[in-house]
Amino acid sequence: MSTVKVYLPELGEGIAKATISYWYAEEGATVVEGSDLVEVSTDKAVFNVPAPCSGTLTQVVAHEGEVVGVGAVLAMVEEDTVSDSEEEEV
Amino acid sequence: MLNLGLIEYARAMDVQRKVHREVTCGNSCDTLIVCEHPPVITFGRASKKSSLLVSEKAIRERGIEFCLTDRGGDVTYHGPGQAVFYPVFDLKGLKKDLHFFLRLLEESVIRPLRENFGLNAYRRQGMTGVWVGPYKVGFIGIGVRNWVTYHGISLNISVDIDPFSLIRPCGLDLKVGTMSNFFKDEISFKKICDMIVENIKQLVCEKGSFDEFLREPED
Repeated sequence: MSTVKVYLPELGEGIAKATISYWYAEEGATVVEGSDLVEVSTDKAVFNVPAPCSGTLTQVVAHEGEVVGVGAVLAMVEEDTVSDSEEEEV
Repeated sequence: MLNLGLIEYARAMDVQRKVHREVTCGNSCDTLIVCEHPPVITFGRASKKSSLLVSEKAIRERGIEFCLTDRGGDVTYHGPGQAVFYPVFDLKGLKKDLHFFLRLLEESVIRPLRENFGLNAYRRQGMTGVWVGPYKVGFIGIGVRNWVTYHGISLNISVDIDPFSLIRPCGLDLKVGTMSNFFKDEISFKKICDMIVENIKQLVCEKGSFDEFLREPED
């Protein structure tokens, strides 16, 4: 098992921060790679940050209403891994 | 381009979501949805309660719908005579930059207003939208999922602007205008829409000339 950090990505020139506007999942929930994980807002745009991997959302670091900078850690996801025995079965 | 004509806000959102899925999957190419809405006030993600100057009930009693929506920005009004453009564009093929895309949308309206109608249309530094003189005529709020855009820009062409008095548009104390205020003769809604569609297409093709969208405001 490995922990993957979810970052606020670069959103564009001159956009240094964004507000966490909505979490699609709560801590402990299962998330799927590529699905909406958290919505962030700038003045005139909302941007949906996807889950970077499939697994469990173990920690929400930045909560709704918080203003965060580009590159900030928003959450931790414990990545699902296929065990050696399962891999052999596949 | 997908022209939906006059369509209820919620129905247009359904169409937009469907198109967004198709563009995201690569089943459709970038699509520009053009439409008008029956009277509706929409609350964006950045909306504040103080942006509504009357109750939701009072709004509905005036025959105006009220919708919460998942676009950026504060409150706005849509009604017949206002052209609404929802570009569902994959920014991965254009430029992964929200600032760039917001400026592109502004530019798509500023150019025809200046070049074809002789209006002194401009953007204001630190703000988003399009102004003519002291009046804001173009309103923008977007969403992005998988770097594919949804929502977009609206332009007041001949819309009744009285319902804007029920809200603080964009959460600000703005003077709102409509293009018909600036002309004696009737202006063609379709002609303006066509010009903006062409400008959006052209600007997308000119994606390299980013600096032009960032030119200094002229107010």
